[in-house]
Amino acid sequence: MAEMTFFHYFPRDSLIHRMDARLKLLCMILLSVAATLAGTVTEFAFLTFVLGGAICLARLPVVALLKDMRLFALLILLLVAANAFFVPGRPLPYLSIPGVSQEGLVMGLRFAWRLLLILMVCMVMTGATSLLTFKNVVEWYLRPVPLVPAARVATMMNLTFVLFPVIFDTYAEMRAAQKARCIETRKNIIKRVMFTVAPLLSQTLRKADEIAYAMEARCYTEERTRAVFRTKAQDWVLTAVCLVICLAVALR
Amino acid sequence: MPILETRNLTHIFPNGAAAIQDINFSVAAGEFVVLAGANGSGKTVLIRHLNGLLKPTKGHVFIEGAPIGKDIVQARKKIGLIFQDANSQIVGQTVAEDVAFGPENLNLSPAEVKRIVQEALENVGLSRYADQDPHLLSGGQQRKLAIAGILAMQPKIILFDEPFTGLDYPGVLQVLGEIMRLHKTGHTIILVTHELEKVLAHADRLVIIHEGRLVEDGLPAEVFPRAEQYGVRIPLGKIEGVESMTWLK
Repeated sequence: MAEMTFFHYFPRDSLIHRMDARLKLLCMILLSVAATLAGTVTEFAFLTFVLGGAICLARLPVVALLKDMRLFALLILLLVAANAFFVPGRPLPYLSIPGVSQEGLVMGLRFAWRLLLILMVCMVMTGATSLLTFKNVVEWYLRPVPLVPAARVATMMNLTFVLFPVIFDTYAEMRAAQKARCIETRKNIIKRVMFTVAPLLSQTLRKADEIAYAMEARCYTEERTRAVFRTKAQDWVLTAVCLVICLAVALR
Repeated sequence: MPILETRNLTHIFPNGAAAIQDINFSVAAGEFVVLAGANGSGKTVLIRHLNGLLKPTKGHVFIEGAPIGKDIVQARKKIGLIFQDANSQIVGQTVAEDVAFGPENLNLSPAEVKRIVQEALENVGLSRYADQDPHLLSGGQQRKLAIAGILAMQPKIILFDEPFTGLDYPGVLQVLGEIMRLHKTGHTIILVTHELEKVLAHADRLVIIHEGRLVEDGLPAEVFPRAEQYGVRIPLGKIEGVESMTWLK
């Protein structure tokens, strides 16, 4: 987990990092909507340029992020292949592959590009916003919503992210220990899964319990110091730009 | 008046097993107490009562003469607890965020939280790691982070639960040095360990818990020769008195 850069926060001093996180989240939502509504190559290319620019502006490690993108390569390939094979239409003009339609391939590539754009949005948001800030923003947005315990929801979200690497590390250690005792020789897949799931669940619950104790020991309460957000003129300018992009794609 | 006192402290688990029974002991301000005992003797249960994390089946805990349950937040502010597994104490995504967790719970102003966090990190020498992922710190640094998280609450008493477990030699030196610095700055220290050779030279008292009962409480030099009968190992080789039982040079 420690070696993965995807969805990690990178502390930097950049325009995107300094941006008011409330507006940053709003911008990312607007760009995600634009990515979802985009249909033409020009729109996709323009959004790729904008998000690529945002990644560079945030000074995120582009090469490392691209390497981690390989994790999604299989999913993207599957998406393209599924559309190409299952969407009916005309055969490909130059290269005839049985079962592959021109319309299906175009649709698949469109889906794949859209997914890439949304991943880029996530990269900018998570790379340039610490989880605590993100949690504070969620809490800020939820606070006016009646019957929603904003502080509790935000803390739960934070703890989920804290527990993720712990669970992954525990899983990796458990798998290694089981491999050392030749778990592969077991043919029954259900038993093999049970050997992992049961202890992992029990250890995770125990760790969750420890975290709860540690939080209580440090006086955890829902009436905590509230984050102070400051909005600068440039934040409004960036938000306006994102709004224009979103409207331009939506109203074309 | 002792800064911390327990009277007939007893904790019975729901299955009927007694974790601790009739524990009576008190700690004076500024004292350094080592609490030793074999695995399962009840040390951790005892210190979790001192911080109000567990409620006793019988008996009481008093801090500066007041029952701990009277104002649990104040009690936890006065008594910091550093857990055995420093990793499980981490709740922040960065070192600074983790240290800020306690002061933010006390609803201090953002500016005050920032100042306290900076001070706490400076105190334990972790300032340059403020923006780093705490899970990437070494074992010794994670313990120091746990200490910083507690220092940010400005406690009078600090409880250490097995602070040397899983640490290499430099890690033990880092943590032990930090504990000694805290003691010198006036903090009352209660340290749970069964590794007496690492720290006993610095202690004012040695308390031994055995099968949930307090069986020994006295000067380290007087108590430690009897420690082995309670499952606490006495270092092998030449022992040149309690004074030699430290890893600090």
